[in-house]
Formats: sequence, structure tokens, C-alpha cells
Amino acid sequence: MRVSWLYHHDKKNTCGHPVWIALMVILAGAAGVLSVSGCKDNTDKAQDNNGIVLQQRLRAFVQTLDPMNVRDTTGTCVASDVFDTLYDYHYLKRPYEIVPQLAAAMPTISEDGTCYTIPIRKDVYFHDDACFPGGKGRLLKAEDVVYAFKRIADIKTRSVSWWILDRRIVGLDAFREYTKTCKKGEVDYDRSVEGLQALDDTTLQIKLNEPWPQLVFWLTYIATAPVAREAVEYYGEEIGFHPVGTGAFRVDRWLAGAYVEASRHPRYYDRYPTEGGPGDKEAGLLEDAGKPLPFVDKVIWRIVVEDQPRWRLFLKGYLDMAGVPKDNFGQVFTSGVNLSEEFTSRQIRMMEFDEPGTFWVAFNMQDPVLKDNKPLRQAISFCIDRKKYIKIFFDGRANEAFGFIPPVMPGYDPNIIAISNSRYDMAAANRFVEEAKTIAGGKIPRLRVAIGGTDSTQRQMCQYMQRCIESIGLDVEIELYDWPTFLEKMRKGDLQLLITGWSADYPDVESFLQLFYSKNIPYPNEFHYSNPTYDAIFEKIAVMPDCPERTALYQEAQRIINEDLPCAFTLHRASFIMCHDWISNVKPNSYKNEMSGWGMTKYYRIDPAKREAYKKKYR
Amino acid sequence: MQPRGYWSDAIRRLRKRKLAMLCFWIVAMYAGLAAFIWIGDILVTHLDWKIPIVQWNEHVGPSYQKPAAQYEFVPEMKTESQKGWCLLGTDFMGQSTFRKTLYGAKTAMMVAFCASIISILIGVPLGALAGYYRGWVDDAIVWFYTTLGTIPYILLLMAFAVVLRGAHIGPWELRGSVSVYLAIGLTSWVGLCRLIRGEIIKRKESEYVLAARAMGCSDFRILFFHLLPNVFHIILINFSLRFVSFIHAEVILSFLGLGETDKPSWGAMIDAARTELARDVWWEMAAATVAIFIISLALNIFSDALRDCLDPKLRMD
Repeated sequence: MRVSWLYHHDKKNTCGHPVWIALMVILAGAAGVLSVSGCKDNTDKAQDNNGIVLQQRLRAFVQTLDPMNVRDTTGTCVASDVFDTLYDYHYLKRPYEIVPQLAAAMPTISEDGTCYTIPIRKDVYFHDDACFPGGKGRLLKAEDVVYAFKRIADIKTRSVSWWILDRRIVGLDAFREYTKTCKKGEVDYDRSVEGLQALDDTTLQIKLNEPWPQLVFWLTYIATAPVAREAVEYYGEEIGFHPVGTGAFRVDRWLAGAYVEASRHPRYYDRYPTEGGPGDKEAGLLEDAGKPLPFVDKVIWRIVVEDQPRWRLFLKGYLDMAGVPKDNFGQVFTSGVNLSEEFTSRQIRMMEFDEPGTFWVAFNMQDPVLKDNKPLRQAISFCIDRKKYIKIFFDGRANEAFGFIPPVMPGYDPNIIAISNSRYDMAAANRFVEEAKTIAGGKIPRLRVAIGGTDSTQRQMCQYMQRCIESIGLDVEIELYDWPTFLEKMRKGDLQLLITGWSADYPDVESFLQLFYSKNIPYPNEFHYSNPTYDAIFEKIAVMPDCPERTALYQEAQRIINEDLPCAFTLHRASFIMCHDWISNVKPNSYKNEMSGWGMTKYYRIDPAKREAYKKKYR
Repeated sequence: MQPRGYWSDAIRRLRKRKLAMLCFWIVAMYAGLAAFIWIGDILVTHLDWKIPIVQWNEHVGPSYQKPAAQYEFVPEMKTESQKGWCLLGTDFMGQSTFRKTLYGAKTAMMVAFCASIISILIGVPLGALAGYYRGWVDDAIVWFYTTLGTIPYILLLMAFAVVLRGAHIGPWELRGSVSVYLAIGLTSWVGLCRLIRGEIIKRKESEYVLAARAMGCSDFRILFFHLLPNVFHIILINFSLRFVSFIHAEVILSFLGLGETDKPSWGAMIDAARTELARDVWWEMAAATVAIFIISLALNIFSDALRDCLDPKLRMD
């Protein structure tokens, strides 16, 4: 997933246009005022009538809750609690383990790796909704998964998730071609797709064109969640505003721009995990082992766009958990990773976890100045003082990156540090810049550093890079683009140096490796990088099941990238969650983060009495 | 007694006003500072001179040091730490707020000046043509500027800034400040155009125009050599009045992240300070707002006085 620099920046948010941002700032201001003034009454009332409420927050508007069209972090946040997927990450175990959720067991995979047979649970009900006969949710069937996949393939639904399934499943591409010939609303979903069969109500069979070991990771992804055909046919175009899923919570009220309210699904099937990783028992994470989920009766996601109001609401006890805004790092932490006294005295605890992501300064390998001038790329890479960068922008809470595999991911190779071209060394930088000038034949033209975002932090990050590169005598200018424009320019190859990053979608380094594959130019291969040796390795890895040879291969791939230097790696970011004392069972997940944990709300337990006491004390 | 000319009389009357003159010198100081930094910037970037005041992006201390507070830190490219202090403290990146504020003056003055020139170049000829020819020319121009005028200014300004940023005009790509100059200039000529049009309509039947016409002068000559010099004071007054609003427009654009990107700007400083205030970092906000306040106040008082002095009705003592 392409990640932007700011914690709160929505990754694929199409509303990133500055005009919209400005309008949203104004609206958010109003919404912020409303939510601040309104929240007390809301929560207190809700508390009395409807039992235990969990108070969450969102950083932007929810645009849709149709799983196949959810593409931003806020949408994913809510949708993951409303829709369950076939598989999920084990809530407690680390390293990450995929476990069945709606599926009854892990898939049976044929010997050639192309046929998956997945048993479906027999006790899963959809939410009660007017679309079902009698308003009662029916049992989940394998056909619902088939239907969801066909919807993604249907070109008339304009799904944003088609790229996941593109050229993967036998016959699904033909189905997509067929939908092109249909009129809107006349697509026949009963038309059979060879690779996508419900053998009976509880058995699903997926046939692939070629082995795709990552399929099981994608079956944890919100877009592949089963959808009830009744709901889609009942609500039609409005389905995005009427989510009917199998998740632990059912959306009751949704006021665009203000809040989303969801209540417990009374017939929810899942139970709290009975085993965990080492230390989980001591941390009290297994106290609810085996109990039926969820533990709260209601969730309220408040939409608070600005950092500071969100932070204030958290401190006042109107939010149960929060991230730490950049400007409050100093307030939260004393030296090291210890919480400052203000927070320990309030019984607030902090959880740190590494993101499976890497940030870098990407070089456009088609740019005439950069492409044949490796010393220039080396000089730029060597002149970036990463320690200081991390100290200034992350208050020291991030790791320097030497290659693209983050330390948190399986297969991290510490040997890369010794040979890495991504480190701070001014002497080397000055040496390389002289070489670069000889290659360029004298003067190096003015360079351009671009970032996707127009916020003050992003401007400061660009200015920092500018300063670093200027220190070796090169001329640099800054380009700030809003996110959609940035992506568009990136695809066109208009940009020269790009400050970007990538966060793995699943615990497999393949998620990073695809970035450098030449057939992925221009997206997600923003580097416009192409190397046949690398491509050959990637093609091998992509269809290979996990094994030591595979690990060796992708470490080799990382060395090739380090040698060719299509980007200067800068850092691996760490994330923080601040939790109040009254919320328990919180364990962050690197792959489902954005602070609040996508789809993990059902595990959280709240002690309302403690919360009330806190609110009184710090009013 | 020597009869005094229009301009020398105006200057003489302006000089009598103590407050207006003080304000004039303040404005001149800002302009001088802007010019100094403009030249200094060229010397620093192209000739590698060392002029600390101009080198705003030097990291002079740790993040968020209070104004005039002593601190110890390791300067760039050095290994041992040394003591230092900053008059207005340091920002998030450890850069001097004082230098950034001064540099902001250059950014603001440059933008306001260039945008004024652009809006005059558009507004004056269009207004003059509309007022002189009337008929369908007038209809077209008035229709055009009324339409433009109905769009709320900030929205129009933002839209222009977004469209112009990185746009290609022929072989040139608009970058950084140029797109800001254009965005502000292209959106704020309506008021001036309307004024000039009215003034030309008023004057085009006057005797000296009639005389010129009788002598066989061309329309072009009458318009640009007889009429326009006589409305020049309006352009001047308008220039000084609008200058403030142009500075504000630049601040708004930078605040929204649509303005100057490479260089410090007061708007960008306020934008950065928005979140900093919560952790008691007030100096960046204070420095930028005080700088804006002083130039706005001085320009307003001065242009007010200028209008009084240039008004022919108030001319005789």
C-alpha cells in the first residue's frame, strides 16, 4: 500500500485535492465543534440506554462501506468491523499467523498450487436487515463469496479492487469481458465461472490460472468479504450506505462527516482466542479466552479530522485510544521510550509497534539526469543524515533503513547494513558528487524533490532533503503536490526525486518486491526501474511457496536493488497507540493498524466505571 | 510664487503628515529588506557567499528553543558542540525563526509587487477599453468581470493556484512563486478595472479629450497618452491599497499549502504554528503575525494619506 508521510493521511483518498482539503478544514472545524460540544450528551445517553460503548475516532470522512470499494484507511477501519473475511490474522500470536475466520479451516491446496478448496462455517449469520425476508439475517453460504468476487469483476459496478483479482482466477476475466457487453443492471450473476464454484452451501472452490501463494493473504483483505445478494439487489446504488455484513457490529446510524454508530451483532459466531504468544498471559490478554465476542454493545466512531482536537478529546476521556500527533511527542515521552509523568499518573499506557513499511527517496530511473549517473544517486543517498531526520521528524522513534525489508518482516537481512548504499557518509557523498559531475559533463542541472501532500510537515520534510542535497553543492527545488496529482505525475514519470514509502499489505516480502518489477511500471513501480535479472528472480519468487530458498532469493533481490540504487532508503517507521486504563485486550497488529486496529474492535473490553471516574477527575 | 505641479504638491502635503511619513518609512524598510534579501539570496546561491541573515535554512539549534534562550548543540558538519541562542527562538527543524521572518518579508513583498503589476496590466487596459469604446466592447468586458466577480475570492484564488501550479504554458512550466504571482494577479484585477472604466467614462467627454480629438489624434493616442496619465493617481492609490490584500492572499495560499514551497513565508509559518501552539510554541506564530500586522497597518495608514493628498478636490490648502 502506498503510504504517505503523515500518519493521518489517507492512502488512497481521492478527496486529497487542496480545494477539497480547504473545504474539509472548514467543515471539519464545524464538525469538530459539533462533536466536541455534542459528544458528552451522546455518550452519556448512550451509556444509560444501550450498555457499554466504545469510543473510537476517524481521521477523515467515510466515503462508502461497500467492501469492494473501500480504499482508504477510514473506510477500512469501519468496514472491517462490519464485514468479516474468510481468513484473518491471529489476534495474539506473533509472528503473524493466518487463521480461519468465516472459513472453517485453512484451505486445501492442490499439488500444483492452483486449486483451493475452502470449507465455510455453518454458524455465521448476516446482520438483521430489511433486505432479508422477515428482516432476519440468514446463514452465510459459499455462494456469497462467489457473488462478492463476481461483483468485483463486474465492470458495471466500477469496483476499485479489480486489480487484486486481475488475471488470477480461471474464467473470471472472461466474466469481466462478458459484463462489458451487458447493460447496467442486467448482468447475470448466475452465469458460471469455472474457477469460482460453490460446491455446496459450505464448500468454496477457487481455481487459479497459475500458483498464487499470496491468495490466502488477500482473503483477509476487506474487499474479498462475502456480501449478501439480497442486500445488493434491495439497495441497488445505495449499497455503499447500507452495509449488510457478517461482522461483529452492525451500523445503526451514520451521519456523514460526524459519526458512525454501530451496535453488537446478536448472533455473532466468533470467540476470543484461547492461546496467545509468549507474554500475552502476563499482560492480561488471555483473561477473556474462549468468551463470545464482542465485549462492547456499541461502537461510536467520531470523525475528528484535526490532530489537536482529537488529542484533546483523548485526554479528556472522550476517546478510548489515540495515536500521538507529531507535535505532542515531546509532551508524551520523556527520554527514551518512557511515558512522561503526566501520562503515567493518568494511567494511560502506550503501545509501540513497528510498521512493516519502508520509506525512501525514490529516483526516477527514466530521468535523463539520474538514469545513467549512479554516482549522482549514490551522492544523494550518502548525503542524507538519516539519524537527524529521524530525530527531528519522529523524535528518534524510527529505525534507519538500509534495504527495503523492514526488521519486523520475516527474512530481514542484517548483512545488508555492511554493503548498503543507503547510509550517511559525507566524505563518500562529496567524492561521488565529483564523479557524477564528470559523467554529467560539468554542471548538474537543478534537481527537483517532490512529495505528495501540501501540509507543513511535508513541506518541512522536503526542506530537510533539500538542505541535505544542497550540502554537497547541488541545486534543489521543492515540489509539493496534493496526493492525486502526485500519483498522476508519478505514473507519468514527471517527477525526479520522490519522497515516498510502501507498507506491506501482508507478511510476505513479495509485497515489496513487486515494486521493482519492470512490468509494474509505472504503478506501483514508481522508480521506472527495469532489470531483467531482477525480473527473473521476481517471477520465480511470485509463484514459489514460502521456503528457505525463497528467502535467499529475495535477499538476493534486495542486493540487486542496493547495487542498482533506484532509491535511497531512509527509515522504517514505528507507530504508537495510547490507551486509557479502562480499555483492555488491546494488541496492535502491524498489518491492520492505522492506530485503532482494523476489525479488532470486537476484542476490546471496556470498564465504564473507570472511564466515568476519569472523566470526572479530569473534566 | 512658483505654481506647484500636481505631484509636487501632493508630496509636500504628504510630508506634513508625521504619522503617514513614519508609515512610509516602515514600508520602505520592508521593501529595502526584501531587496537586500533578494540580492543576498542570489549571492548566496550562485557565488557561495556567507550571509547568515539570508541563509534561513541553516540548522542553528535544537528544535523549539525559546526566544533568546541559551542552548548547546552540534552545528552542521561539525563534531563538537557549541553554545548559541536565537533572538526569536528556533522552529521544529532547528532553524532560526528570526531569519525566517525576515525572509518572509521578501516572499510577501515579491508576491504582492508582482501580483500588483499583473493585475494592473490586465485591469487597466481592459477598464480603459470598456470605458472608452462602450457598446459591445463594454458589454463583453463588464460581463466578463462581473462573472468573475461573483465567484467568492478565496475559492477562485485557490482554484487558480491549484490549476496553475506545475501547469505548462507553451514551453514553460510554471513553478513555485511564478504560479503564485499569476494566481493572485489573475484573480484580483476586477476592482481596478471597474474603477478605471468609471473614471474613463467620466473624463472622455472633457475638454482636453475633445481638443485632442479635434486635432485628429487616434483613439489609441487619446486613450493611452491623454486619458490614462490623468487617472494614474487612481492606479497608484489602488496599488498601495491592494498591496496589503495581496500580502494577505499570499499568506492565505501558503497557509493552505498552495503558496511558496521552497522559501519561508509568513503563511507557512502560521500553518506550522497551528499545531505547535498546543505545545506552547508561540514564537513562530507571534513573529509571523507581528510582521504581517506592522506592514498591514503601515500600508493602510500610508495609502489612506496618499489618497487624501492625491485627491484633487482636497488639493488647495
